[in-house]
Amino acid sequence: MSGLLNLSGVSVHFSGLKALTDVSFSANAGEVTALIGPNGAGKTTLFNVVSGYVQPTAGEIHFKGEAIQGLTPHEVSEKGVRRTFQNGGLFGDMTVLENILTGLHVQINSNFWGLLFGTRKADEAERAAAARARRLLALMDMDGFADQQVKSLSGGQQRMVEIVRTIATEPPLLLLDEPAVGLSPPMRARMMEVIKRLAGEEGISILLIEHAIDLVMAGSDRIIVLNSGQKIAEGKPAEIRENREVLEAYLGYA
Amino acid sequence: MNQETPQKKRPLSQNGRIFYLVPLAAALIPFFANDYLQFIVNMIMVYVLVTVGFNLVIGNLGQLAFANTAFFGIGAYMTAILMTYAGFTYELALVGAAISGGLAGLLASVTALRGIRLYYLAIITLAFGELMRWVYIHAEPVTMGTDGLPLPDVTVFGMSMHSETAKFYVFLLITVLVVKGTSNLLKSRVGRAILAIRDNELTTASLGISTANYIILTFVWSGSVVGIAGAMFAASTERVFPESFGLTEVIVHFAMVMVGGAGSLIGSVIGGVVLTALPEYFRQFPGMEELFFGAIIIAVLLFLPKGLVSLLAKVSPLFRERYFRE
Repeated sequence: MSGLLNLSGVSVHFSGLKALTDVSFSANAGEVTALIGPNGAGKTTLFNVVSGYVQPTAGEIHFKGEAIQGLTPHEVSEKGVRRTFQNGGLFGDMTVLENILTGLHVQINSNFWGLLFGTRKADEAERAAAARARRLLALMDMDGFADQQVKSLSGGQQRMVEIVRTIATEPPLLLLDEPAVGLSPPMRARMMEVIKRLAGEEGISILLIEHAIDLVMAGSDRIIVLNSGQKIAEGKPAEIRENREVLEAYLGYA
Repeated sequence: MNQETPQKKRPLSQNGRIFYLVPLAAALIPFFANDYLQFIVNMIMVYVLVTVGFNLVIGNLGQLAFANTAFFGIGAYMTAILMTYAGFTYELALVGAAISGGLAGLLASVTALRGIRLYYLAIITLAFGELMRWVYIHAEPVTMGTDGLPLPDVTVFGMSMHSETAKFYVFLLITVLVVKGTSNLLKSRVGRAILAIRDNELTTASLGISTANYIILTFVWSGSVVGIAGAMFAASTERVFPESFGLTEVIVHFAMVMVGGAGSLIGSVIGGVVLTALPEYFRQFPGMEELFFGAIIIAVLLFLPKGLVSLLAKVSPLFRERYFRE
């Protein structure tokens, strides 16, 4: 029970189907923890159960020492566990910059009357937020797209924007569901670099689902391997690479 | 990392400040308009605010709530009632109209918050408008029923507002303040939160934004703006009748929003101006007025589904809605 996020004995059964069975692990503060496993291993179910979209059949989930199982997605988000979705949730009628600014919403310090009368203080809070949004976009080399409508971006670029928007909320724990899927190779490398930097410099802890094994090996501090709803291995990338059971189950080597 | 973009001075043609020229130019109208034209121009400002308020709920928040005529009627009747029975001055009655319009907005927001949406919300809010009209007709001891309730002499800061010109300058000041305040709100985190709710309420909540608060805020602000328009309408006609707030009026308001451009503040102004001025112009063709009115609405919506403002947005980016400041 030392980590930022602790799962102990978490099981999820959907009318007879055992999606997750007795899974326990910890994700540590300031680290990138990766979840890998073949299709159907239960990775997305695990994300859903941590973020409150699915209730566990058994087991406990603690975030910062506080039990969070049974909370609604909104309550889990309030506690500081934020996630991105596989098929985005960007605001289609806004520009990229406006999307990021919406992520910064709760950090903009202004009240209704200040905004209504356009006081200097409220104005400056808005301008500072816009400058910060541009800097966050620059982190991902996306600053050139700031004033474009999100609809005009490619799927990969949209995912980048969604991640920046989630980062903008300054989440203590960020759950990323396959952030690199569909990205071009240089963008994938860039994405992984950014994820590492977020954990290192910005102090955001990350739990990551990723299929691209090379990215996971290079970018994460610890790896949890799932197969058929059970945890089969856990360790540093080097240890996982040597693990025979993992090689058989996940990489398909015999 | 820390390169702040320096504030560049943009030329007037790309600067939003150019819109201040509109009220400045309008301020010259009394120098060449006759009383009839002046009355129309005053009505235009009433309907600009009606459309600005309605568009917030329909366009920005994306809720099919048609309680707008209720807000309008409540604002107008509140003004007449407060002045007649409570001896309020017009300035105070105007504040009263804004507050009661806002309270009616709060009431309308409860339906949307309780998960009543789309067609259900539409029919409930339409019924609310009709219910209010029934009240104006039947609360005869107060409202004088279908005879209409006359306003006492309207004065503002001691000056008579009986002439159309006097009304014009007071209305112009109110309109500019309300439109500017609404613009300030829309260009801030408030405007973005409202738009985000329209796009995806769940995602908005996942960003830590209290969606319920912003739904309430939109309805209340919308109700206040339209309540103020009602107070202006009362001062303009000097007698308030129940028939002014019926179902046909809902259609007119809705047409103004759609023809101007749903979800666009500039569109609201354009819609209010065009659909108030044109029917007056068409009066010279008796019997054909409704035909022209209907044809214009159909033509605009067929060829410009995003309203007249979308045509201007192609000419200059100034007419594109921006929800931030830099």
